[in-house]
Amino acid sequence: MPSKTSRRSFLSASISAGLLAPLAGASPAIGALSPTEDAAPTGSAVKLSYKTLGRTGLKVTTVGFGCMITSDPSVIERAADLGINYFDTARSYQHGNNERMVGAALGARRKQVVLSTKTHAPDKAGMMQHLDESLKELNTDYIDIWYLHGRSGPAEIPDEHIEAQQLAKQQGKVRFIGVSTHGGQPQLIPWMIQKRVFDVVLPAYNFSMDAAMNEAIDAAAKAGLGVVAMKVMAGGFRSHRPGDPLADKLAQPGALLAALKWVVKNPNVATTIPSMTGMDQLDENLKAMDHTYSPADAQILAAHLEQIRPLYCRMCGQCDGACSHGLPVADALRCLTYADGYGQFALGRERYLELASAHTARCADCASCTVHCPHGVHVARRMARAQELFA
Amino acid sequence: MKRAALWLTVLFAAGTAAAQGFLDCHFAPGWEQSGAKRQYDAGNLFDLKDGSAEGYLIFGFIRMSTIDCKSGANTLTIDVSEMTGVDAAYGIFAANLDPTQPTTEIGMGGQVQAQSTIFAKGKYYVEIVEVAADSSTDDSLMLRALASAVEMRLEGSVTPPAQLHWFPPGNVAPVRMVPESVLGLRELSRGYVTNYAKGQAFIVLEDTPDDAALVLKALRAHFPGAIQAQVGDEAFQANAQYLDGLCIFRKGRVLAGYANLPNPQQAAAQAAALAARIP
Repeated sequence: MPSKTSRRSFLSASISAGLLAPLAGASPAIGALSPTEDAAPTGSAVKLSYKTLGRTGLKVTTVGFGCMITSDPSVIERAADLGINYFDTARSYQHGNNERMVGAALGARRKQVVLSTKTHAPDKAGMMQHLDESLKELNTDYIDIWYLHGRSGPAEIPDEHIEAQQLAKQQGKVRFIGVSTHGGQPQLIPWMIQKRVFDVVLPAYNFSMDAAMNEAIDAAAKAGLGVVAMKVMAGGFRSHRPGDPLADKLAQPGALLAALKWVVKNPNVATTIPSMTGMDQLDENLKAMDHTYSPADAQILAAHLEQIRPLYCRMCGQCDGACSHGLPVADALRCLTYADGYGQFALGRERYLELASAHTARCADCASCTVHCPHGVHVARRMARAQELFA
Repeated sequence: MKRAALWLTVLFAAGTAAAQGFLDCHFAPGWEQSGAKRQYDAGNLFDLKDGSAEGYLIFGFIRMSTIDCKSGANTLTIDVSEMTGVDAAYGIFAANLDPTQPTTEIGMGGQVQAQSTIFAKGKYYVEIVEVAADSSTDDSLMLRALASAVEMRLEGSVTPPAQLHWFPPGNVAPVRMVPESVLGLRELSRGYVTNYAKGQAFIVLEDTPDDAALVLKALRAHFPGAIQAQVGDEAFQANAQYLDGLCIFRKGRVLAGYANLPNPQQAAAQAAALAARIP
């Protein structure tokens, strides 16, 4: 049983704490993945679905594995045994401990899977150093996809970062290169398309996002960029504390699976990387490859969207009425959406302060608000939050 | 009304400043503050730790105070995270600990490297990361002193969670706090794990013995063929595909055990030794 060998390998890897890692499994050959569409591994009861990851040509399971918060390698081992073939980690996760755990858990399965990691190093030299550390910790001599980690716009990708990625490719240390991004995708993805040097994009993408995100992903896929989706369960779930109605809503049975299925059904998304910490989550997420997105799923997600509707300005410009003190309500709420909706606090604050410099009125001073949203956004409350958050 | 609001704002700002007294670039001679001190909560931590925020949230995160410092071409960031409790602070510290490097006595435990240091004290987890123009720079002495200065200003216990001492000696890796699904099992929601030359041990605390008994019963259902074992108040042993030989027992409100041993009998023997150390 291969799992036993690899499990023990992890334990011994813990003992040697990485010192022996470069000696094991060293083979310069880059494995070729060629599973057939919709084929499941022998002996597995799980029905897997595959898509091609853009111009890389890699056939990846539509549900992959985001390893960031996984603690026990047995979950990764089992996922690989069940046929999941895309695993994602990063140099920064637990200061490299996550890479070490992932490498040990995959063990001899390494060449049967697509393995991605990321670097957040600020310069070329640092990136190349990170890459060598990643190879060592992951116990491999090549990375399938090497991402620039968490970029929010073209300004965060200087030429030397791309030079480092291309050098790594030339050296055979990485097969394909990409960028991971949690915000600013509608600007960053068109830039990546135009740049023509990247193979894969790893954006945050989920059902709560607006149409601009769909358009960006469609354009990426059409241009041959492989699209790997993260934050597929609407990312910030863990930021909602117990008692928060949003957290309660998302705790509904089936809500997380519905969110995953919503992403998987998009033909332009090749694979997804939900975080998994336990066997139950793994079993649940595997269903997204076997069960189609249903009207019941749509109802669950619609209920969730209804829950967040009072919070998110759609920036439609159809505000009913105007602020009696002249506050630019639509613009201020747009800033709040940058912060609350896309995690772009700095951008939201910067834009807000530009607006606010000409306005001194505080919403808390008004007894009632003269602006109403046709989509149900609680304008006064949201304006008060913007002032509290940014001012 | 407006005056009251203004005073509240001033008081809040003063309170925040006092609470951030542990953030001062001058703790390290030659370093100056660069930009304003900032604070993040669970809602906007993604803005600072883009791509890594969940690694904080999963342990139990409340807020992070951060400051950037500059000395010539070198920069340094001090992040002080307030976690939900001592176990959460220890948990994220242990997760970020490099097991190949020695630890240092700072707070509950610390680790100093050439250009970074981490430590935990009470409910606080602290990371200090330098980006030096020369990547071979060894500033460990400066970072050690800086970490001590920050630590002195943080309230809280320097004693790690008691459970760490319950594990038998001989572990080959630091004790980790697993914030979710210990051994990959949802029922074991949060606990401590460490590895030995053979196998790994875990400890999970439930609120009451009855709660622990219910969890044990649910766990046993995962393992067809499990048989009763004579460890603690109640126990079972089994062979499992990914956990190999395992034994899980309950002692009072504690659930603990061993996994990944060659067979269940060996797991039970090790579990008995662990049970004897649990008060």
